[in-house]
Amino acid sequence: MNPRMNPRHLLTRGNVLGAALIAVLLVLPQLATAFFVNFVMTQTLILGLAAATIVFLATYGGMTSLAQFLLFGVAGFMFGNAAQEAGSRGLNLGWSPWVAVAFALLVTLAAAFVLGAIASRTTGLYFLMLTMVYAVIGYFVFAQIVEISGPGGITSIQRPDLLGPPVRLYYAGVLLSVLAYLGFRAVGRTAFGLALQGVRDDPVRMASLGFNVRLHRTLAFTLAGFVAGLSGLLNVWWNGQIDPASIATGPTLILLIIAVIGGITSFAGAWLGAFVYVWVFTYLRDLPLIDNIGITEARFNTVIGVIVLVIMVLSPEGLTGIVKRLRHRVGARTPAMPGPASGGSPSVGKRTKELGGTRT
Amino acid sequence: MSGLRRRTAPALSMAAALALVTAGCSGGDDSSGLPADQQGSGATAAEGDGVRLGILGQCEGPFGGFHEDVVAGTTLALTRFAGATPNSSTSALDGFSDAEAAGTPIELVGVGCGDDTADRVLQEVRLLVEQMGANVIIGPLSGDEGMAVAEYAKANPDITVFAGISGSQEQTLQVRAPNYFRFYGDGAIWNAGLGDLLYNEQGWRRVAVIADDYSFGHTSAAGFIADFCAVGGDVTHRVFPPLGTTDYSSYIAQLPNPDEVDGYFWAVGGTGTQSALEAFINSKGDVTGDQHAGNFFFNPDLAQALGSDIAGAHIGGFATLPGDVRTPEIEEYLAAADATWESIPGSLSGNEPAPPSTAAAFGFFYGYYTAGVALVEALEAVDGDISDVEAFQSAISGLTLDLPYGDISLDENRSGVVDVGLSRLAVDDSGEIVQETVAVVPGVDQSFGGTFSPETPSPGRDFPACDERDLPWEGQAVPVVDGVPQS
Repeated sequence: MNPRMNPRHLLTRGNVLGAALIAVLLVLPQLATAFFVNFVMTQTLILGLAAATIVFLATYGGMTSLAQFLLFGVAGFMFGNAAQEAGSRGLNLGWSPWVAVAFALLVTLAAAFVLGAIASRTTGLYFLMLTMVYAVIGYFVFAQIVEISGPGGITSIQRPDLLGPPVRLYYAGVLLSVLAYLGFRAVGRTAFGLALQGVRDDPVRMASLGFNVRLHRTLAFTLAGFVAGLSGLLNVWWNGQIDPASIATGPTLILLIIAVIGGITSFAGAWLGAFVYVWVFTYLRDLPLIDNIGITEARFNTVIGVIVLVIMVLSPEGLTGIVKRLRHRVGARTPAMPGPASGGSPSVGKRTKELGGTRT
Repeated sequence: MSGLRRRTAPALSMAAALALVTAGCSGGDDSSGLPADQQGSGATAAEGDGVRLGILGQCEGPFGGFHEDVVAGTTLALTRFAGATPNSSTSALDGFSDAEAAGTPIELVGVGCGDDTADRVLQEVRLLVEQMGANVIIGPLSGDEGMAVAEYAKANPDITVFAGISGSQEQTLQVRAPNYFRFYGDGAIWNAGLGDLLYNEQGWRRVAVIADDYSFGHTSAAGFIADFCAVGGDVTHRVFPPLGTTDYSSYIAQLPNPDEVDGYFWAVGGTGTQSALEAFINSKGDVTGDQHAGNFFFNPDLAQALGSDIAGAHIGGFATLPGDVRTPEIEEYLAAADATWESIPGSLSGNEPAPPSTAAAFGFFYGYYTAGVALVEALEAVDGDISDVEAFQSAISGLTLDLPYGDISLDENRSGVVDVGLSRLAVDDSGEIVQETVAVVPGVDQSFGGTFSPETPSPGRDFPACDERDLPWEGQAVPVVDGVPQS
């Protein structure tokens, strides 16, 4: 019997906590207010799902992408164009919502594949810059081409009847988040995922072993783009509209900041970072006496900036890194095994060498 | 594998703990108390005895400097007509207390902080309504925000929204939410009558238009084009530089030379106005004011950079009238503002303390003021009973407000039918460039005699076409001489 199939093997602290968290998320609508579920948690799940694609590319591919919010937007714009029956903007194709979903995801996949193929020769800082260029071009494409959006974007977007009540959108977010979390981790254990990590660590050696380095990077980018597209669909259903400002450089950087807050090498950190971001946005202004020290809602970005700065100083691996180190310090009787295992993240030292130039 | 598990476990536990803590904390908010899965999509405002008011402003972004102005606008209306007392004598952002109209208390539950994007204002309005329990919203400030909030209002019929000073046409003409009311004009309305005046009094026949390539630029240009073409004029060029352009030379090159057209209409906003005109001077020669007109971004401050040659240029309106028009109602309104606060750090004074009347005389403050007046008059019309939301909203639709800068009623789409003041830049006795009112165009509505309707596209690069048609206000403009309307 495969030891992985042993039930006792599955009964680890991480799995138990994960299952407990999912259970909490499932019963949360019974416990919490509508606002907390439909605003705070739904937005957390949407942003966490998008940020997880950054983590996936960074962890397995060594690629820090700023194009994920563009692909998030492509899916949203395409759904709006396809599903809207009438309106003063967009193509107004009037397709049924689920056909529009398929169309939006197909276009997102195609865009991710093409953009990924072009970017696949670059790594490190050059990859970051190239994906930043994608984000800027994407903004202007939607701002300038009035047939598919124009500066005012697509408004009055309705979600499919199946997701009518807001709480169902929350459950859709939970489902997709759990699937993405498990799926991304599982990919890391597949032959593709292992090869991708090999490409991350030493592309030259992998190429000499016969692996198609560019194809692996392209496919990873495409998969991440697909998941970002799913997140983008949830977002337009949640928000009811999308415009070019939704995918401008500001929101693009916020997604990276979310990934950094949580820990750019931790999948769970993506949702944790999103939760911290949404929590600060929503509740900071309500903290007693906070405005007496000059922290009002207008200072929200400053507070987020300070949080990022503190996290970068204390722990480059984000909040999950801080929690991990605290746990090790407090519970020294259960010493940790050093080094990343399969499916884990590269060490900081290993990732610093990814700041190289263009590679094959 | 085990390494990853160790890494994720603390994160998961921390997330769970945070989620539970906040879920517990947020249980005390004013949502209806039902679990989320027992509420419909319209689960919004808390039911209270009175008006729970949320104001949507912008504390960030290009109009962030007007945050104080807009909150002050509504506060002044409630101070004058609902007995409110501002909580501070030097800032409106500290809120007010003791407001009551027709026996119904008006409580300020929060001030939303937009950044000129639709996404952000949606989050802010949801915070105000779904978390803080607002049942009446005043705002938002800018065009794209207006469309988003109007859509939100449409999906949440229990709330009532009085738009702040958002100038897009679609928020009322296309969205048509029954609970969204706009007691001022839109970006197109503010240029109504300008084409008529330039055609019939300045002899313009052919004109080139240059406007920002976004909704407010399109809408401003659309109002001028509809008006100028209706009376027989011809728009020969339409140039749309992207918003945020700093070097306008390539766009100016697309414009005809001064001897090929009778004039130019500019709807290039913010700092772009001056940059674009400077590029024009570099490319086409000196500006002669008589050959230029623009929307409200065209103002006397341009003279600091361009010199007095800009004198003679015509300008559309923006909710209020230039300072040379002083009726008793306007004097009373401005004096009331000065009596309400010692000073206000409004945008026109560079966010430094200044007499409140400085801010009150400008459109951003005034738009929010008209909304506040509408709220009070609507409450009086229903004797303070807002339990029947439909009756309350029906009463708002029927209001005609007697306001300092002219009466305002609503059309069938609940958008303001307003008087528009047109002005020109002139040199005063001391050699300064000032804005001088030349005409007031009465009763302008957003349809422009049928040019715009719910069935037509939104104003854009190609819409509206240049067609001659009858306009209700053609030839009806009331001349203004030395600040006195000649009616």
